[in-house]
Amino acid sequence: MVERCKSCGFCVEFCPTKVLALSSAFNSRGYHPPHVIHPEKCSGCDLCGMYCPDFAIFGTKLPGTGGEK
Amino acid sequence: MKADPRGVLTGVHFMDGDHACCEGALAAGARFAAGYPITPSTEVVERFAARVPTVGGCFIQMEDELAASIALQGAVWGGAKAFTVTSGPGFSLMMEHVGYAAMTETPCVFVDVQRGGPSTGLPTLPAQADMQQARWGSHGDYEIIALCPNSPQECFDLTIKAFNLAEEFRVPVIFLMDEVVGHMTEKVVIPSADQIEVVPRKHTHKTVDEYLPYETNGDMVPEIAHAGEGYKFHVTGLTHDERGYPNMTPLAQDKLVRRLQNKVRAAADRIAMFEEEQTDDADVVVISYGITSRVAQRAIDLARQRGLRVGKLRLITAWPFPDRKISELAAKVKAFVVPELNLGQMVREVERAAAGKGKTFSVPHAGGGVHKPEDILKVIVEASQ
Repeated sequence: MVERCKSCGFCVEFCPTKVLALSSAFNSRGYHPPHVIHPEKCSGCDLCGMYCPDFAIFGTKLPGTGGEK
Repeated sequence: MKADPRGVLTGVHFMDGDHACCEGALAAGARFAAGYPITPSTEVVERFAARVPTVGGCFIQMEDELAASIALQGAVWGGAKAFTVTSGPGFSLMMEHVGYAAMTETPCVFVDVQRGGPSTGLPTLPAQADMQQARWGSHGDYEIIALCPNSPQECFDLTIKAFNLAEEFRVPVIFLMDEVVGHMTEKVVIPSADQIEVVPRKHTHKTVDEYLPYETNGDMVPEIAHAGEGYKFHVTGLTHDERGYPNMTPLAQDKLVRRLQNKVRAAADRIAMFEEEQTDDADVVVISYGITSRVAQRAIDLARQRGLRVGKLRLITAWPFPDRKISELAAKVKAFVVPELNLGQMVREVERAAAGKGKTFSVPHAGGGVHKPEDILKVIVEASQ
């Protein structure tokens, strides 16, 4: 998954609750994939997954939680 | 709001229906069209492609009708008023995106200059056989609005109306021309811009934080965000909630789809446009639309000369169908005569709306030409007895 990311930042920009940020880590192509900085704010809406042009991120709801990346 | 004078070619012209439709679109504020050429509709976008760069817009010839009918919706969400133009075979290909426009409430105009079908049928010969397709062609429950001009002047006037209705109700509006109206050249009067009323896009006044893309405020038509001003929204053909997020519950489906229908149905009487003449004393009313209404007029005149009490109802709005008007007439006339360039499409609606009151006579024609007035007269005589 992380290897598909090209750091376009759509997931970061469009997340309604600002859960994500681009990380300082690199994937093997030299891009910075996003990481979760505010897991408690995630509503599980999966807008990040719908916007991602490269299918490199998706939301999934964990049992017993409000939602998680 | 008045029309942008840059798009209005004020003056008295001698032009065909296709070109008049193009000028109507420009006057209404259309600054983008996407299309794929198909006779007898090509002249609309041929003219648009030449004219629109001079007023600050563009035309793209797409690789096919599917691409054209979705490119125009991208343009709409980007802020433009946009349309596409096609004929029967292309209209069939566009059906998926008519449904998409209905579901996403994308205000746009699909011009269909009808020719004979099915399939490739009769290029450059007339028919009116896409009437039911315009209403029911895409899957699922939805409502559209469809208009039927019967002259080049109406191609101009009603194209503006089509764009205005699209903006007011946020629906795809189907502009149902036919080959004869499209290729007929007549006098077309284009008024000055300050005499043309244009409905602006229903932009939201809410802040970025307050705005919900599919929240309604009483009139069932949600406000749209202005692209590039920081509003973030998700447009999807999936069943969605007020936030625009997919919501696949029966409850969300019920709420959304009923609203998509009701926003048009509730306004059906207000949307309905028709031309009614000599129905006060009529035994028989001829119901027609598009080019057929002009042949029907001759048949009505001939019948009146023979002393038959015949009235005329010309449908300008095909959809939503003017149920109330038909029902009112059905209560007082003996029969309806419905000539059309198909083997009986709108006559079904007349029968449905008449609900058993009065007889209904179809005057079908498979297309490729128009009726002879005598053919309609014969049925009027039969219906009068």
